[in-house]
Amino acid sequence: MGGFSEILWQQQAALPLLLLLQCLPLLGAAVVFAFKERSTAVFAGKAFALAELLLASFAVSRIDPTSPALQLAERFAPLAWHAAVDGISLLFVLVAALLTFLMTLYGMSRGMISPGRLFAVLLLAESGLVGMLLTVNVAWFAAWSALELWAVVYLLRRWASSRAETQALARFVQYQAFGWGLFAIGCLVLGWGHAEASGGRWSFDLFDLVGAVPVGKFQTAAFYLLFYGLAVRTPLFPLHGWLPNMAQHGLIAVAPALMVGVKVGIYGMYRFVLPLTPAAVETWQPYVVGIAGAGVFFTAALAFQQTNLRRLLAFAVVSHTSLLVIGVFSLHEAGIQGAMLLAANFGLAATGMWFIVGFVFRRTGTTELHELSGLFERIPFLAIAFLSFGLAIVGMPGTPGFDAAHLVLEAAIDKFGALSTVATALGNVAAAGFLLWAFQRAFLSQAKAGGHDVDRTLPMEYVVCGIALAALLAIGFFTEPWLYLTETASQAAAARFVR
Amino acid sequence: MSLPLLSLLVFSPLGAALLLWLLPARAVRHLVAVSMLATLALATAALLAYDPPGARFQLLERVPWIAGLNVQYLLAVDGLSVLFLPATALLFLGSLVACWNAVQQAPRLHYSLLLLLQSATLGIFCALDTVLFFVFWELTLVPMYFLLGRWGVAAESPQAAARYFLIMLAGGIPLLLAFVILAGSQPVPTFDLIALLATPLPRSTQTAVFLLCLLGFGVKVPLVPLHTWLPQFALAAPGSLTALLVGLKLGAFGLVRFAIPLAPEAALDLHWLLAGLGTVAILYGAVGMLAQTNLRVGLAYASVCHVGLAVLGLASYTAQGAQGAISLLLSFSVASGGAFLLLEFLRQRTGSTDIHALGGAARTMPLLASGFLICGLAGVGMPGTSSFPGEFMLVIAALHSHTGAGMAALFGLSIAAGGFLALYRKAFFGPVTRAAVAQAEDLRPREWAVLMALIAMVVLIGIYPGPWIEIVRPAAEAWAAGLVR
Repeated sequence: MGGFSEILWQQQAALPLLLLLQCLPLLGAAVVFAFKERSTAVFAGKAFALAELLLASFAVSRIDPTSPALQLAERFAPLAWHAAVDGISLLFVLVAALLTFLMTLYGMSRGMISPGRLFAVLLLAESGLVGMLLTVNVAWFAAWSALELWAVVYLLRRWASSRAETQALARFVQYQAFGWGLFAIGCLVLGWGHAEASGGRWSFDLFDLVGAVPVGKFQTAAFYLLFYGLAVRTPLFPLHGWLPNMAQHGLIAVAPALMVGVKVGIYGMYRFVLPLTPAAVETWQPYVVGIAGAGVFFTAALAFQQTNLRRLLAFAVVSHTSLLVIGVFSLHEAGIQGAMLLAANFGLAATGMWFIVGFVFRRTGTTELHELSGLFERIPFLAIAFLSFGLAIVGMPGTPGFDAAHLVLEAAIDKFGALSTVATALGNVAAAGFLLWAFQRAFLSQAKAGGHDVDRTLPMEYVVCGIALAALLAIGFFTEPWLYLTETASQAAAARFVR
Repeated sequence: MSLPLLSLLVFSPLGAALLLWLLPARAVRHLVAVSMLATLALATAALLAYDPPGARFQLLERVPWIAGLNVQYLLAVDGLSVLFLPATALLFLGSLVACWNAVQQAPRLHYSLLLLLQSATLGIFCALDTVLFFVFWELTLVPMYFLLGRWGVAAESPQAAARYFLIMLAGGIPLLLAFVILAGSQPVPTFDLIALLATPLPRSTQTAVFLLCLLGFGVKVPLVPLHTWLPQFALAAPGSLTALLVGLKLGAFGLVRFAIPLAPEAALDLHWLLAGLGTVAILYGAVGMLAQTNLRVGLAYASVCHVGLAVLGLASYTAQGAQGAISLLLSFSVASGGAFLLLEFLRQRTGSTDIHALGGAARTMPLLASGFLICGLAGVGMPGTSSFPGEFMLVIAALHSHTGAGMAALFGLSIAAGGFLALYRKAFFGPVTRAAVAQAEDLRPREWAVLMALIAMVVLIGIYPGPWIEIVRPAAEAWAAGLVR
C-alpha cells in the first residue's frame, strides 16, 4: 500500500504549467465575458480554447510517462492547493481541451444566439474540468466539480431548445446535487479519518489521505459515498436518469458533450476511489462489475426502444460507460489502461455524434427518428462521420477504441474468465446494433416525399467533424504514443491491488 | 527484396481511393480501372517473385507497429495465400466491369469503398500478425455495409447490410478473444503468427483457441448453422458484390491459416467436429439449393455446399486435403465469382434473377447463357474445369480419413449438380415468356472480355492444373507436417 511520490514542476519546466493550464481558461472566460457580444469575443473564445489545447500538448511533452511519480507538482499550502499529473490525467486534459476547442467551432457553425456569453461559460466549464483533472486534493476536486456543474446548469437554462427544458433542468439539478452531496460527504469522512489518525489535523490531500485510509465500516462508507457520487456524474446505470432528459431537451451538443465528453467520473474513480479505499474496492469489486455488466445490456435494450436520436445517444453513452467501469474495476493494469484510453475514445466519438445530431437538428428542426429520412443523399460527409464515430464507440479496428477494448478484454479474461468477457463484448455488438439501426433510419432510408429540403454540409461542419475524425483515426492507427503515455500510471494504480 | 511489394499491393487501392476524390467525376471509374489493373500487375509480380520450394514465408515485411503491445506490421505470403492475390485482383476487376454503368449515385464514394474493400481483402491474405489480420478482417465490414446498404438492389438491403454487419461483428469477438489468449499464452506476449506457430501451446488452451477460431471463422465461411445471413445477403446485394463475398472464401482461408495450425492437437482431437460441420454444410447446401427459385440465392447455397467440402477435406489434416482445399477455394474465386457477375449482367438486363421471371434466356442471350453454364459446371466440379483437381483431391482425402462423411459428400455433390442443372434449365431453356427476356441483348464487348478472361482461367486451370498445384504443394506439405508433432 505505497504512498504517492511526486516530481516538482521546477525540475521539469520553466513555468508552473499546471497553474497556467488552470488559469488560462479562467482568464479566457473573463476576457470573453468582458467583450460581451462583440465579434472579438467569438475570436477570443476560439483563441483561448486553442491556446489551452497547445498548452496541454506542451505539458504532455514535459512529463516523463515512464516514471510512476506524479509530475509537474505544485503546492501552495495556505489554499491547500496541490496539483500534479500523470500520463492519464494529461490524456484527459488533452481530450477536454480538444473538445472545448471543437465546441467553440461548433458553436459558430450552429449560429448560436449570444455566442460571446456561450463561449465565456464554455471556458468556465473547461476550467472546472481541467481543475478536476489536475488537482490531487479531493476537496478541490469537489469544488471544481461544483463550478463545472454550475456552468452546465447555466447553459441549460439560457440556451435550452425545447419547452420541456425546465423539467429536464430540474431533474439534472436534483441528480447532480445529490451526487455532488454524496461525494462531498465522502470527502468529509476521509478528512475526518485523517484527523482521527493524525491527532486532529484535517487534510483532503491525496498524499496525506493515502497514508491514513479509514478502516472497516468507515472505509466502506467512504467508498460508497465517493463511488455513488461519481457514478451519478459518470453516469453509471442505474443512476443515469438525468442524462436522457437533458440530452433530449437541453442545449443540443454542448451541454451533453460537457457532461459526458470528458469522463471525469471515471477519472475520479481512478484517481481517488482506487487508492483511498483499496480494501472496500476489493470487497465490492464483484458487485460493481455485476451492476456495470447488467447496465451494458439493460441500457442497450433501452436504446433500442428510443424514437429520438438524442435520447438514443444518451443511452448509448450510459451503455459504454458501464464498460469503462468494468475496465477500472478489473483492478488490472491492462484493464485500467484500456478503460482510460476507451474513455478518451468514447468522449471524442460521442461528442462527434452529438455535434452531428446538432447539425441535423439545425437543418430539420427535429431529432425524432421517424421524421428523419434520406439524410445520406444530402449530407454524405456528416453521415459517414456519424457512422465512423459510432464504429469508434463499438471499438472498430483503426479507431482508438480497438486497442483499448482489446486491453479491457485482456484484463477481463484474466480476472473474470472467458464467459463473462464474451458477454461484455456482446454488449458492444448490441451497441453497434442500435447505432446502425439509428443510422439506417435517419440517414440511409429513402427520403420521404415532402420531407425537409436539407442544406448541404457547410465548411465549418467539415472542419469540426474532420478534426474529430482525424484525431480518432490518427490515435487509432498510431496508438503507440498513447499507450506509452498511460502505461506506467496504469501499472502504478494496479500495483495497489493483489493480482 | 528491397521493394516492399506486398505493402504496395495492399495499399495501392487505398491510395487510389483517396486520389479519386481529386479527379473530376467523369474520370473516376477510369482511374479505378487503372488502379485495379495495377493491382493485378502487382499481384502477378508477387506471384512471380514467390519461389514455391523456397522458405515457408516469403516477401516478408516486418516493422514494429504498436511496440507497447508487441504488435507488428508483418506481411508475408506462402503457397497457401499467394495465389489468392491475383485471384482477388481479378475478381475486383470483374466486379468493377460488372457495375461499370450501374453506379449512378455518388460514384466516388462507391468506388472508394470498393477500393477500400480491395485493400482490406488483400491485407487479410498477406497479414501474418494476428492483430493486423484482425484489423483488415474487420475493415472489410465497413465498405461491405455501405455498398450493400446504400447500393443494394432490394428494398430490404439496409436491413440485410445491418444484419451482415452485426453478425460479422459478433463473429469477430471470438476471434479477437482467441488472438488475445494466444498472445497471453506466450512467455512474451506476441501476435506474430510465425512465432506462435513455433511455440506449442498447452492442450487446454489449444482447445479454447480452436473452438473460438472455429466459431469466428465459421460465421464467415459460412458453416451451418451460422450461415443465416447469406441467402438474405445474396438477394439484397448486386451480383458484383456477392461475387466478392462468395468468391473470396475468407472464412475457409482463416481456418487454414490460423485455426488449425495454431491449435494442431486440438484440431486433431476435434477432427470429427470439423468433418461433421463440413458434411452438414455439403448436404444442407445441396438440399437448400433444390428449394430455391432465385439463381443468386441458389448459387449462394451451392457455395455453402462447396466450402463444406473444403472444410471436410481439411479435416483429413493431410497435405492433399490442404492442397485440395486451397485449389478449390481459388477455383471458386474465379468460377463462382464469374457466375455471380453473369447473374449481375442478367439482372441488369431482365430486372430479376428469379426463374419465374426468366425462362428461355438462352435464346436471346446465348453468350451469357453459355458463360454461366461453364462457370456453373465449374462450381459443381465438372472434370475439365478448374474445380475438378481440387475437388478430386478433397474427395480422396475425405474418403481416406472420414469414409462415411466422404460418401455423404459425394452424394451431396451429386444433388448440388442436379440442383444447379435444374435451375439452369428453368431459367435459360424453354420458351421465352417474358417481354424483358425477349428484349434483352446479349453480352457487350466489355462484359464479354471480362467473361473470357474468367472462363479462360477456369478452362486452363482445369485442363492443365500442374503449375498451380505445384505452387500450393510445398506449403501444403509444410502445413500438414506442422500438425503432426
